[in-house]
Amino acid sequence: MSDWALISNEIRALIAYALILFVVAVCAFSYFIYFYRTKIKKAASEEPQLSLDVAYFHERGKRARQEDSYYISPMDESRKYGLVVCVSDGMGGMRYGDVISQHITDCIKEMHPISFFACENNADAIRQISNDIFDDFKQKGGATLAMVQIHNDHLTFYSVGDSDIILVRNDEATILNPRQNYVALLIKSLVRSGKQTQVAYTNSKARALVDYMGNHNPRVIYTKKPMRLLDGDTIIVNSDGVTDAIPVKSIPRYDAPSARAMAQNLKLTVKQKKHPKQDNYTGVVIKLQRGIV
Amino acid sequence: MIEYYTLMHKGSKEEYTDNIFMNFGSTVTVLMLSDSGEDPIPLSEEVKTRVSTYITACRGIPFDEVSTKLKGYIPVGTDYMLIHINDTSINIERHGQIYASIVKRGEIKMLPNGPFSIEDDDRVVCGTAEFFKYLSKPAILSDALTAESCEEWMDNLVCRISDKTHLAEGNLTAVTLIVRKDENIRI
Repeated sequence: MSDWALISNEIRALIAYALILFVVAVCAFSYFIYFYRTKIKKAASEEPQLSLDVAYFHERGKRARQEDSYYISPMDESRKYGLVVCVSDGMGGMRYGDVISQHITDCIKEMHPISFFACENNADAIRQISNDIFDDFKQKGGATLAMVQIHNDHLTFYSVGDSDIILVRNDEATILNPRQNYVALLIKSLVRSGKQTQVAYTNSKARALVDYMGNHNPRVIYTKKPMRLLDGDTIIVNSDGVTDAIPVKSIPRYDAPSARAMAQNLKLTVKQKKHPKQDNYTGVVIKLQRGIV
Repeated sequence: MIEYYTLMHKGSKEEYTDNIFMNFGSTVTVLMLSDSGEDPIPLSEEVKTRVSTYITACRGIPFDEVSTKLKGYIPVGTDYMLIHINDTSINIERHGQIYASIVKRGEIKMLPNGPFSIEDDDRVVCGTAEFFKYLSKPAILSDALTAESCEEWMDNLVCRISDKTHLAEGNLTAVTLIVRKDENIRI
């Protein structure tokens, strides 16, 4: 006879109940741990990001045709893939400026979704678009490209030519992308010989582009690493028709609580200047704000 | 390895009176002396020679020792900054109107005195108050993030200053530094 047989039925029942309760407790504890870990992970991944508010204007100045083009990636996918915004400005006085700028923004649209971290590959893809334009149009036209991608409160940008990517932070506007024009080369040369640079700005070719989309293997200026964005930042991607009419330092004056209101302010200001040679002007305003639910 | 590029521009002044002394090795030593601030203390040729000779021979000497020695050479009240930088750390001592900023993981921060760890591709710019006068933090940051080299970074910063002043104000003195791990050095 085993020892188990010596235990009374009541005790055996109690032990069985205890075992069952123990198994239930272990299961409940495991579930509790699993549930809370999942919840914490989810909460961490859903840490409130800056919300994006986007608005644009796209106007023809005194030019015969609209040579600016723009692209804004789908807003409903911006959480997943980030927001891509680009503006392309066809080179004035050359044939096909409108066709080329439209072709560029169409190609960027086809690239969607664009990897946020593969900056070098994205720059290569942009260079390839330029090479294709070079093959098709044989330098009978060209355009600029200013493109930003915003994902998880970080910004990357790509630039060829002299369209602007402007950051407005703490009431101060900064053009982020270096302009690829002749004046930059002149300044470089003058500095190396220890001179002042007034003469660079009075040169008749100062604003001529030294690189553009449609050139063979253009230099694509791009951020090697993402740049951190802050609550309250505003990014403006625009053609030079905007910054020719509104000095960059005065842009914060047109800031407003919403992207739509700011875009409206900028558009109306350019319009009211009534410049007889007003270039086409396109701008996309992106406001970043901490969303409060 | 540390990549570097220096800017020494006299601007509208008759002479360039700031000074940069450097020592190159696995650890780079930079000593920047500003003689062109608002109330400059003119440095005698003797002081400059002593400092230059010391920096030229300071390879392998600990930062604190270099710092102590320089305090004996440089007159009190002079604006200067001493930097020791290698692949893994940067050590700074600044006096007066000379500043340094570091670009790290997409953000820019001012560097206070003391040692800090650094990583591959971290970027540092140090310069006089005159150099930083017209440069906003986002401008320095974006130029750092887009530049392929120290030289390009400096060129872009100088373009920004030129847009404001035509480089027709005071002496401009600055150094850009980029940390390059050996495997990333392009040939």
